[in-house]
Amino acid sequence: MPDVILKNLPFLLHGLWMTLNLSVWSIVLGTLLGLVVGLVRFVRLPVLNTLALVYIEFIRGTPLLVVLFITYFALPALFDYHTTAYRAAIFGFVMFIGAYLAEDFRSGLRAIRPTLIQAGLATGLTRWQVLRYIILPQAVRRVVPSLFNQYVRLVKFTSVASVIGVTELTGAGLLVNAREFHPVTILATLAIVYLLLCSVLSLAGRTLYARFAVRT
Amino acid sequence: MNYHFDWTPIWAARGLIAEGLTMTTAVSAAALAFSTLVGLVIGGAATADSRAMRGLALAFTETMRNIPLLIHMYIWYMALAFLRLPAFTCAVLGLSFYSGAYVAEVVRAGIGAVGRGQMLAALATGLTRLQAMRLIVYPQALRIIAPSLASLFSQLIKDSSLASVIAVAELTYQAGAIEGQTFRTFEVYITISLIYLVLVTAVSQLVLLIPGSRSEAAAGRFADA
Amino acid sequence: MSDEPIIVARDLHKSYGTTPVLRGCSLSVKRGEVVVVCGPSGSGKSTLIKCINGLEGYQSGSIRVEGVEVGAKRTDLPKLRARVGMVFQHFELYPHMSALDNIALAQVHVLKRTRAAAQERARNLLARVGLEDKADAMPADLSGGQQQRVAIARALALDPQSILFDEPTSALDAEMIYEVLQVMTDLAADGMTMIVVTHEMGFARRVADRIVFIDAGEIVEDAPSEEFFSAPKTKRAADFLSRILAH
Repeated sequence: MPDVILKNLPFLLHGLWMTLNLSVWSIVLGTLLGLVVGLVRFVRLPVLNTLALVYIEFIRGTPLLVVLFITYFALPALFDYHTTAYRAAIFGFVMFIGAYLAEDFRSGLRAIRPTLIQAGLATGLTRWQVLRYIILPQAVRRVVPSLFNQYVRLVKFTSVASVIGVTELTGAGLLVNAREFHPVTILATLAIVYLLLCSVLSLAGRTLYARFAVRT
Repeated sequence: MNYHFDWTPIWAARGLIAEGLTMTTAVSAAALAFSTLVGLVIGGAATADSRAMRGLALAFTETMRNIPLLIHMYIWYMALAFLRLPAFTCAVLGLSFYSGAYVAEVVRAGIGAVGRGQMLAALATGLTRLQAMRLIVYPQALRIIAPSLASLFSQLIKDSSLASVIAVAELTYQAGAIEGQTFRTFEVYITISLIYLVLVTAVSQLVLLIPGSRSEAAAGRFADA
Repeated sequence: MSDEPIIVARDLHKSYGTTPVLRGCSLSVKRGEVVVVCGPSGSGKSTLIKCINGLEGYQSGSIRVEGVEVGAKRTDLPKLRARVGMVFQHFELYPHMSALDNIALAQVHVLKRTRAAAQERARNLLARVGLEDKADAMPADLSGGQQQRVAIARALALDPQSILFDEPTSALDAEMIYEVLQVMTDLAADGMTMIVVTHEMGFARRVADRIVFIDAGEIVEDAPSEEFFSAPKTKRAADFLSRILAH
């Protein structure tokens, strides 16, 4: 392992830990948000459906960096509160990925054949029971590859948190570089670590899908 | 909420906003052209008969896609600083290799969709492999992937915001500059995000005008770039 | 078979937007009767039976199932549907559950039986349709005929008073039609009230008590089985029969 990395290993490892922390929190909370919003869109609850649509369209048309600037600078200014870069980053990531996951969930739900829903209703299940026992289990399984695509995307996006001052992996690497000035080594190391992280996550997604896929 | 809205400084800074918008468009357009080129080459390699070629193409796409875009830009800007490339070029190159990997996937699927039969027919008339690709397969593949390219343009517009980090004076960079001058934090960033929204929506709508574009399917393809 | 009609439809009118699908259909089915509904495609026969268990709405007319008005706002449809089973053309087994679980699901969540009781009943029903060894199989591992038999078992699981069949064998390959018709014949012999939309005239002749012929949204003929086959009263029915039987 190159000297400059070895010398700063604890600092860099802390950055890696922060990347994992950001990723896990954003994935978990973002998935919950995406599921709720996706359901709202699928079932078309009045009023909430329109709000969900506005939310999704806004996020999909906005760069991640701008979303982070909004959560770190604009919203605290507007509502006069104080926030840390870490909290603003999580907030921004959750809002961002939630919108994309919501659309993925909605597609998965819409892919269920209407006649299958009728079959469930025909056995006397209520609409909510059909949603819970027949539609959701299938939709969630179908949607696993798209979900993991978004998760991998999120891990890459955590690097942008460095711009608002969160010392995750990229931020840590840049700080070390500012002191030691070994950009090639440091950036190569960062690149390799991200590569490994994303590959492992993709692999996990493919394995999960293979195990739980619904064959029709 | 005791925030006093004041939009006049934003209007006063419209010159800077216009400059930023121009730069954003320039970066995105250049990246679109170059990543299409990259994608065509790598996508073509991914459908080659030689296993080595296909392996190389796969290695390229997997590597480029799993490295964050920000790291791509920093690599060109800092690690390869000896090349003395201007920040604009670094941003375009970073964007192009990152997106090019995604285009390669689409191109590969597009070439696959053209069908082996076309290649065989071309070869049967005495064309070489290279000629067949250039004259028969690529033109058809291009028509198939055209809608995806339009979606890619949309995505590139958003990704170009990262160029602000390496000091390219595009829209997001200007937003920061205006905020620094006027302190109208909320107004600036909301304006900027609305501009991006309009840009991206406009491009997506143009996708629908392309004859034969399967809109949602094509538009969705690049949502995970 | 008692003389009580348990399903009575009167002057049903239904349209999809401006297109009329059912024009004044009336039908009465007694307990234990087997009624076959036939007609050309697009005649409205599937729509008709989907109105009976409320899967489709109707604009005017009335359907009473065991005295309950299907179209009334206050009707508890899930409760009604627990008493009327349905078998679909494309089986519609839940793909993420085993055959056993497919049959147990509604028992647990609609009838509130315990899982153990539901599963035992499911096994009995699987044996009844000849598939006791397929309890843990997933739908994707079953042939079309096997899937449809599981679907019939699923419909029986709630101990319904009647079962509606929507072209149960139309999606099956020839060699699997027999096994499904056999199960349906046994059901009829056991006294189940059945309304069957089908083209299988051999089955209709052997098993049905009555044939209802529907064309372009109207019930053109409604006659006891023997009468219908030997002497159809209307030209339309006669034409349909000769086309179908010439197969």
